[in-house]
Amino acid sequence: MLPTTAFVAIVLVTIALISLVVLRPTLVAARGGRILAFLSLFLLPLLVTGLGTSAQVEHSKTTEFCLSCHVMEPYGRSLRVDDPSYVPARHFQNNRVPREAACFTCHTNYTLFGDYKAKLRGLRHVYVNYIGTIPKQIKLYEPYNNRECLHCHAGARNFETNDVHQSVRAELAKNATSCLECHDKIHNVHGLAGVKMWQETPWKEEKKP
Amino acid sequence: MTVAAPAPLMRRLRLSGLLVALGLIVEAITLFWSHPTAFLVFLGLGGLLVAAGVLLYLFTIATYPSAPPPT
Repeated sequence: MLPTTAFVAIVLVTIALISLVVLRPTLVAARGGRILAFLSLFLLPLLVTGLGTSAQVEHSKTTEFCLSCHVMEPYGRSLRVDDPSYVPARHFQNNRVPREAACFTCHTNYTLFGDYKAKLRGLRHVYVNYIGTIPKQIKLYEPYNNRECLHCHAGARNFETNDVHQSVRAELAKNATSCLECHDKIHNVHGLAGVKMWQETPWKEEKKP
Repeated sequence: MTVAAPAPLMRRLRLSGLLVALGLIVEAITLFWSHPTAFLVFLGLGGLLVAAGVLLYLFTIATYPSAPPPT
């Protein structure tokens, strides 16, 4: 992904070239000026918009992005519950999912990354966030797909050698049995009041003598 | 020898440049904002301004009559 500073640098260069064309329009009478105008008013703006869109899409995979809406705050807190029976917390705190993209790792087809219906729902979420009424309980639109678990756990030794998993392996693959039927303590955001939270100790590098 | 571009062409190029520059500024600002609305502003406002500027530029060069050949 293009770093934001590089993106801003390209924007500034493009604006400088546009300024040249706009402030000295006689330039376009010459061949070189016409090429400059084509570059600054067509090629570079399209390139910048394409790179920017790619950066925005990548950025929308981040946990920070998902939790930026007030309504998602409890879901963010549920990742820090000091209780390993909470499945998302266990995954987040033990780095079983990348912390910077925790939401996206387990909700891979949500809004922007789903089909056109999911994208329209994403637009509706923004509308509801500002103007509409946010429902008291947020639910997934579709039953949770085992694919989200199996894309990491399938093939893993401790998953495959578990007797219970072995007995329902085929059903799990077909989504006939949900992983959440047994692993049923998920975000549980309405039960977070009074729950002990994990106090993370920042990792410190040892100083070399 | 270069010939000065006519006033309507200048005006359209200026407007096109202004639209594209504004769009790019909006796009750059939204990259510092981590929120779903930033994505909508990026495409809905920044992208729209850039598209309008680029289309105006293309329309300008497509409809501008070429200079008559030297006699």
